Amino acid sequence: MLSYILRRLVQSAIVLVIIITITFTLPYFQPHGIEAPAYAVLGARSTPYNVYVYSKLHGLTESYFVRLYQYFYQLIFHFNLGTSYKQSLAVNSIISLYVPRTLWLALSSLIFTVLISIPLGILQASRRNTTVDYAATGTAFVLYAVPSFLLCILVIDAFGFHWPHLPISPPSGVAPWAIFTDPKAFILPVGCLTLLSVAALSRFMRGTVLEVLVQDYVRTARAKGCNNRRVLWRHALRNALGPIITILGLSIPALFGGALIIEDVFNYSGIGVQTINAALETDIPTVLGITLLVAVFTLLGNLLADVFLTIVDPRIRLEHSR
Amino acid sequence: MSDLVEAMSVPVSDDAPVPMWRQRLRIFAGNKLALVSCVYIVILAVACFLIPHLHPTNQTNQAIAFNTPQNEPPSAQHWLGTDSNGFDELGRIFFAGEYSLTLGFLAGVITIVVGTLYGMVAGFFGGIVDTVLMRLIDAFLSIPYLFLLLTLITIFGRSTVFLISIIGLTGWWGNARIIRGDALLIRNLDYANAAVSMGAGKWHIIRRHVFPNSISNIVTVATFSVADAILFLSALGFLGLGIQTPNTDWGTMLQTGAEQIQNGYWWEVYPLAIVFVLVVVAINYIGDALRDAFEVRLLER
Repeated sequence: MLSYILRRLVQSAIVLVIIITITFTLPYFQPHGIEAPAYAVLGARSTPYNVYVYSKLHGLTESYFVRLYQYFYQLIFHFNLGTSYKQSLAVNSIISLYVPRTLWLALSSLIFTVLISIPLGILQASRRNTTVDYAATGTAFVLYAVPSFLLCILVIDAFGFHWPHLPISPPSGVAPWAIFTDPKAFILPVGCLTLLSVAALSRFMRGTVLEVLVQDYVRTARAKGCNNRRVLWRHALRNALGPIITILGLSIPALFGGALIIEDVFNYSGIGVQTINAALETDIPTVLGITLLVAVFTLLGNLLADVFLTIVDPRIRLEHSR
Repeated sequence: MSDLVEAMSVPVSDDAPVPMWRQRLRIFAGNKLALVSCVYIVILAVACFLIPHLHPTNQTNQAIAFNTPQNEPPSAQHWLGTDSNGFDELGRIFFAGEYSLTLGFLAGVITIVVGTLYGMVAGFFGGIVDTVLMRLIDAFLSIPYLFLLLTLITIFGRSTVFLISIIGLTGWWGNARIIRGDALLIRNLDYANAAVSMGAGKWHIIRRHVFPNSISNIVTVATFSVADAILFLSALGFLGLGIQTPNTDWGTMLQTGAEQIQNGYWWEVYPLAIVFVLVVVAINYIGDALRDAFEVRLLER
């Protein structure tokens, strides 16, 4: 098992190196290329000489590989993601300010997603082709076909105009853990994000549980006289957990993407809104830093899912530890 | 499903075998939902490309729009009302549709071309090439897609051409994986091996054997790619990073409408939302029907 985890770690590290190289290389393609910060900072004073001095001072004139080495060095040993010259702030401080807010949003909706979609999948699979099943499948299909931002608009129309009893925007400038102190303000954003994830996952959950329910061990369990509840929760759920964990791990990029839309619609200043604003004012270091960070989260999530998988499903452990 | 059964039981003329493409067309036409979808897409596309020119409404000049009533509910003059700038909403749906449909289509086509080439090379050559190419895709896939789009837009700007290229050149990873699976499968089939034993070159086999035999998957995936491209383009528009003013696309329009929905100006969101969702759903239905039409098991032999 340890060797399996180690191998996955190495794989993730390779992928991470590729991503970092990409995020490092991309700024070479912006207007003014790698000297763009000089033009942005100097503004009207950007004569060729001034630009040259600025570039020289900030090490922009070094060769690609020297700079790549420095970039990696700064990133790995100092977690230094560069400076946003539009906001005159280290990208690090922007991230440490806003990432917790997004993480709370994403995590809480992930928890609700798990809490809702697993029982829903089991319910749908055990009541296959009944009204409940059709209703859930139909709802999921509609929710899946409607783009996420459109769903948010509908929710805002419902709760902002027709039935204005829930706040449609969490208060700004609150602590990241405001989700616990003022849960009412977060019902709509977290609810929307959860709904989107559940819609995307529920078809998969249903399929996974269905697949498990036709296995021999389920029949054996029924034959030896287990009641339905015990079969579903002891035998079916345990065996379905593997694929469920995998798909949850794989859905992390979608979760962040969803959080980006949700934050924009519900005006919740997390990392998503920061990215959008940075993109609107072409603040490249910020966008790159955040994207890199989100990619790392995704990799970590996938890695965690894989490790968790080996714990849940002993067969995988046997397969890879040889 | 009943459509499929029906399509399977269509009687065949006794003498000449029915050409394969006509059988496929028949199976496709047997799917009524897909036919309706086709009609809808064609009518909407024609409307989007013709109406802004045949019956022009002011959609670009803010100064003129300023003199028309803003946020006006539907009336005889403005069938779907006006938006917060005073632009006629109905005309604007078609005006924006021209951009959304064109960009979505072009970006979708690029994703399928790039994805096919990449997947074919990875699947056909296999070994170390395959491993490297697929690890690269893993790396790309671990960057959340919207964040990646925002990054690229920040760096390359958002002119129409760049929007098409950015979505087109980043949306193909999933496609490449599917096509790679096909190529891997076909490469090991007997007819491909036979061609190898007759001394056929690699590119010849890709061109003459692998590509024609995976065309069904390519066409199907292409359809879904166009739907995805339209969706992502609209998401960008909704975030304020779509087509730039004075032009507009559906996503940008929905953003403008969303700002007014709290005031109860439903006509700025719902008509467009219905048109838009139906486009995405219709394209997906067409993709499903194409998949059925290409399914060999449904053909009569």
